[in-house]
Amino acid sequence: MPPDLTVVSTIVALPFVAAALSPLLYRALGERTGYAGALVAAACFGLLTTQVDSHGTVGTPWVPSLDVGVQFTVDGWGLLFALLASGIGVLVFVYSAAYMHGEDGLARYYAALLAFMGSILGVALASDLVLVFLFWELTSLCSFVLIGHYTDDDESRYSARMAMVVTVGGGLCLLAALLLLAVAARGALGGVTFDLTAMLANGEAMRAALRETGLFVPALVLVVVAAAAKSAQVPLHFWLPNAMVAPTPVSAFLHSATMVKVGVYFLGRLRPLLASDEWTLLVATLGLLTMLVGALLAVAATDTKELLAYSTASHLGLMVAGFGFDVVYGGEAGAFHLLNHALFKAPLFLVAGIVAHEAGSRSLEALGGLWRDLPLTAAVAGVAGLSMAGIPPFNGFYSKELLFEAAYEVAHEAGGLAWLYPAVATIASVFTVVYSLKFLAMFVGERRAPVDDVHRPPVALVAPPAVLAAAAAVVSISPQLAVDAIVQSAVEATATGDAHLEVGLPTHLSPPVAMSAVAVLGGFAAYPFTGRLAALVGRGLDTPLPVRPSGWYDWTVTTATSASAQFGPLVHNGVLRTYVSWVAAAGSALALAGFAVAAGLPAIDGLGAPLAVVVVLAVAVVAAVAVITASSHVAGVLTLSILGFMLAIFFILASAPDLALTQLVVETLVLLIFLLVLQRLPSFYSDARRLALARDAGVSVLVGAMAFVAVLLTARGPGADPTAVASYYTEQAVPGGGGTNVVNVILVDFRAFDTLGELLVVTVAALAILVLVTMRTRAEESGTESTEERPADGGDAP
Amino acid sequence: MTTTIMRTTARVVVPVVLVLSISLFLQGHNLPGGGFIGGVLAVAAFVLIYVAYDLDYLESGVLDRDVEPTTSIFEHRTVVAYRRALLLGLVIVLGSGIAGTLVGEPFLTQDYVHLEGVPIYHEVELASALVFDLGVFLVVVGSLLTIVSVVSSE
Repeated sequence: MPPDLTVVSTIVALPFVAAALSPLLYRALGERTGYAGALVAAACFGLLTTQVDSHGTVGTPWVPSLDVGVQFTVDGWGLLFALLASGIGVLVFVYSAAYMHGEDGLARYYAALLAFMGSILGVALASDLVLVFLFWELTSLCSFVLIGHYTDDDESRYSARMAMVVTVGGGLCLLAALLLLAVAARGALGGVTFDLTAMLANGEAMRAALRETGLFVPALVLVVVAAAAKSAQVPLHFWLPNAMVAPTPVSAFLHSATMVKVGVYFLGRLRPLLASDEWTLLVATLGLLTMLVGALLAVAATDTKELLAYSTASHLGLMVAGFGFDVVYGGEAGAFHLLNHALFKAPLFLVAGIVAHEAGSRSLEALGGLWRDLPLTAAVAGVAGLSMAGIPPFNGFYSKELLFEAAYEVAHEAGGLAWLYPAVATIASVFTVVYSLKFLAMFVGERRAPVDDVHRPPVALVAPPAVLAAAAAVVSISPQLAVDAIVQSAVEATATGDAHLEVGLPTHLSPPVAMSAVAVLGGFAAYPFTGRLAALVGRGLDTPLPVRPSGWYDWTVTTATSASAQFGPLVHNGVLRTYVSWVAAAGSALALAGFAVAAGLPAIDGLGAPLAVVVVLAVAVVAAVAVITASSHVAGVLTLSILGFMLAIFFILASAPDLALTQLVVETLVLLIFLLVLQRLPSFYSDARRLALARDAGVSVLVGAMAFVAVLLTARGPGADPTAVASYYTEQAVPGGGGTNVVNVILVDFRAFDTLGELLVVTVAALAILVLVTMRTRAEESGTESTEERPADGGDAP
Repeated sequence: MTTTIMRTTARVVVPVVLVLSISLFLQGHNLPGGGFIGGVLAVAAFVLIYVAYDLDYLESGVLDRDVEPTTSIFEHRTVVAYRRALLLGLVIVLGSGIAGTLVGEPFLTQDYVHLEGVPIYHEVELASALVFDLGVFLVVVGSLLTIVSVVSSE
């Protein structure tokens, strides 16, 4: 059964509408806006559940000429992600209503959170690449607002900017990748299209087209960079812990369920299309490296949210690695862990928020023995924490086991260096156990000194994580239930071949089971040495700049800032002449470089110009020389006009009367305007500096060269046949437009919309000048006491 | 530039230029010309007056009205007229575009008819594009003259 377009677009649009209305809602409901948000999320969730049985693609055209459509696909993988985003959204909104009690800027907060949820739902369901990109960047934008929620806080602003730079930069890589895919689609699908469903359906042809054009590896690398930036893979993982300055509900939403998983989600989406040896090498290596680095950094973390953030990076690495392995287990590990991770990480973040709220500290060293005061929270944390550690029979174990099986299978087949895959996965899992225990340690043992007064949390704070932990417990006890409900169809959508997911506790000893045993036992054995381990990791972090990713981020940003601070005044010094020379020089240089790359230098075979043209052009050259050597303004302007009129005659000789007429009229007008201006200028040139002369000569030569090459490359030879467009206009001018002047018919009949646009440009120019002059006059009238008139040439005397 | 030679020349040339401008505008559909070229030529005629005399001359010398001593150029009656021409042009352009949609054609659709048996001219072609072109003419005249008069008075 195909999905219903109205329902699907309502699911995506509803949060945005609610976001637009949230200032009104906030005025009416105050702090209870959170519950309204929860209602919206619940509505999305409910609508999504009506689509569970439907599979397929629906949409309407958006830009038909490029085959861009507002197109949505409903399948297991998209549904799983969308259900997680909206379901956890409900809980996060309920939690927010209690957690954000008494804070400022709640209207903005809820608007951003709603728009954020809408963008995530959009990414999950969109199946047009342009639409995916749009929603992808919207998530970055909304997360920027959410992370920077405390706008007065320097750290908050810094982190928000960092997240924005990394994720939007990654988004630009995605855009480039999408364009490459669209280019390949022209070869494979017979036309430019951004339809992802069609690309996935013709994976074989797409791969062949990509390979043929040599774009396979570039497209793959760009997609992986985009996903790595979004999903905080090494070496772009540094923004994730910094994003912890956001309010805790945001952290839970951002890091557990949604935004950081968008990269993983998209890798899963493209996996059937791009799976290959290069894919395995790049994605699996990246994922396992991130899994290890994230786990190590989490062990060294001292702050609850920091620990969870690094652990998120590590688990995202696990999913990425799963999708990287080109075996059945790999896709299963990735898809199943997406669900499991959301189910245990979201409650852990919410628990961290409760602890910070009620005990007033986020430092792991200051917290201990909290189970006495927060028994329910401790129970929730226990289930979720053990699941994070991957201890059987908690749900995290099953998906990690699948990764072990995938890694083992790949290593067994490839041999040699590939044995590093299972080894790294096991070592990373050891550290996973260690940091999970470290997190849980704040609930057990004795109370520590700095915290004495712990409040009971309200129900609205405890209920959301409890619901999630209960869901995690259900999956733990009966994983097959979740598999049958949604995971199996998600696995099918991301699998490269046939996949039938079966999970359960292992019944006999196999290498992957042994790996799990090593991880769990090793983790418990290593736990007592956590302090020493953390010190070791800390020493690694203190190494010089290039090794620390946030170090080179800072270096890049400060260098860019200082360089632009120096460069800015050079370009933007308030003198109109400087602007003109920069724009002209830069534009010409870019155009020349473009020509050099694209076409090379044109060949000139003889002049072949009639005598009349040669004479006219010779006069024009003489006039040009005379302009340079003219001693007074009037002489300069007049000689310049000679040049212009010669061009007009050239147009007449080249049978372009309309062009010639325009050139004549404009030339006359320019001459008159010059004369008007000349009344105010000194009659003779002042002495020019040699350096300025040389610079101006350089710029003019550059512009001239650009124009020359452009004409040579684009103009058609005199004997060439008219193009299809040209003959269409010539043939259709009389029957279609009723005029024999083809140029005018094109202007007013065929391309009247262009003319309208140009008229608007002219109008805007006139209005802009009016406004500029008005503002200047007003500023002079009100700004200074002196009524002294400024020089007419604005102080920029030639 | 307000020399006698300049003024005498302007006196002779400006009417010719204006007539030429209108003729170019009217013949544009079938011969070289059109709203843009005609408009620019009309602007040239006005600027010539401007150079030879000044902005007030249009008011006092041509229209025979008193020039109000206004404080700023923006309220100058002539400049206001230029701005009105600009807006009128835009309205005509958009109106001619929308007119097509009233009879169910897409925005900016143009049509034409041939009239037979007209005295003197015998056969006349009436094209709705001429209305569009009139808008172009007025926008060009209004905006360029606004720019020239405001900037040159600075």
